[in-house]
Amino acid sequence: MSSYKYLKQTTNLTGLKVAINPHYSLKLLYGKILKTLDKMPPNAAYPKYTREIIEKRHAIVQSTERVEDIEAKIGCGQAEELIVQAENELHLARNMLAWRPWEPLLSEPPPNQWTWPPTK
Amino acid sequence: MAYSLMRQMARNFKQLPNCARALEKNCSKPLVNAFNVRFETTTVASGVTENKTPTIRKVNTEVREQLAGFGKYVAECLPKYVQKVQLAAGDELEVLIAPEGVIPVLQFLKDHHTAQFVNLVDIAGMDVPSRLFRFEVIYNLLSLRYNSRIRVKTYTDELTPIESANSVFKAANWYEREIWDMYGVYFVNHPDLRRILTDYGFEGHPFRKDFPLTGYVEVRYDDEKKRVVVEPLELAQEFRKFELEAPWEQFPNFRTDKYPVVEEVPIDKKS
Repeated sequence: MSSYKYLKQTTNLTGLKVAINPHYSLKLLYGKILKTLDKMPPNAAYPKYTREIIEKRHAIVQSTERVEDIEAKIGCGQAEELIVQAENELHLARNMLAWRPWEPLLSEPPPNQWTWPPTK
Repeated sequence: MAYSLMRQMARNFKQLPNCARALEKNCSKPLVNAFNVRFETTTVASGVTENKTPTIRKVNTEVREQLAGFGKYVAECLPKYVQKVQLAAGDELEVLIAPEGVIPVLQFLKDHHTAQFVNLVDIAGMDVPSRLFRFEVIYNLLSLRYNSRIRVKTYTDELTPIESANSVFKAANWYEREIWDMYGVYFVNHPDLRRILTDYGFEGHPFRKDFPLTGYVEVRYDDEKKRVVVEPLELAQEFRKFELEAPWEQFPNFRTDKYPVVEEVPIDKKS
């Protein structure tokens, strides 16, 4: 292990504190998301696309030591923001298990519901 | 005095770009002709090629393709709820959903990595009495991360309640109260659904198309009772219906067959 240490005063974003160990938090969250996605049907679009995104980020976090490099490689904000995004995705994925959005359409719109200008 | 006035007018005409061509033609003549300049501006000079393209906003095709792609992505991820995806006004993405899917769709758009529409800009209502479900509820979302906007539309009628978006966006609280007040759309699981815009004791929902322009009651200060009294409305004469539409077409360039109001994005539906 090299002598790298993550030193950061502030995120410059109101209410968002500097993460103490972003590697640990990100790996934990990505692992949890992947575990949740395993419970969904593998051919459905949502788990498929989400898995792609998460595995890509997970690989970057695992292979990169410096937090600044992770941020540059993922390119979606600071490490703290990445943690928030992962938390949101985990929340969504757990809800998706109950909603099951990959099922066929619940209700067709009545005819002329979406026409504009409206029919007389 | 008269001469200086005319010179002032001629100067004003020079500032108007439409008059510039006609003014050039007249500049050799005495300035008294400045009055004629105005009449000649409406005639098209020969030899000037007419600009065929109307003065409407140009649409960035790259942005359009991106938005259409994202619309397809949303429809593919949530086939249970998305009924239709369309582009309005060239580059405004609209996702039309079944009323059961308000919470899942908004939650997906807020929390998914590639969406991140974390700001709820506005919730609007619309009343089209000729439809089976006469009210539309329209959610406008903004993603600061990707600098992008999206509109989610759903529908309901007077009796069917719709799920409150308050659990996803705290901002929905007051917007839904507005819609409840103006249209009478009922939101389930709203923490505090009551009137927000109309006065205490107001009855009816004023944005409904069948709500009369004059309202039902009249409010005035009564000098004898020393208080404000509310009385049923009495009109001195029958309310007149004014025909405000002109007999000719106002904007022939904006016929819907030539420039469609909305353009549907094809999505593949699973049966």
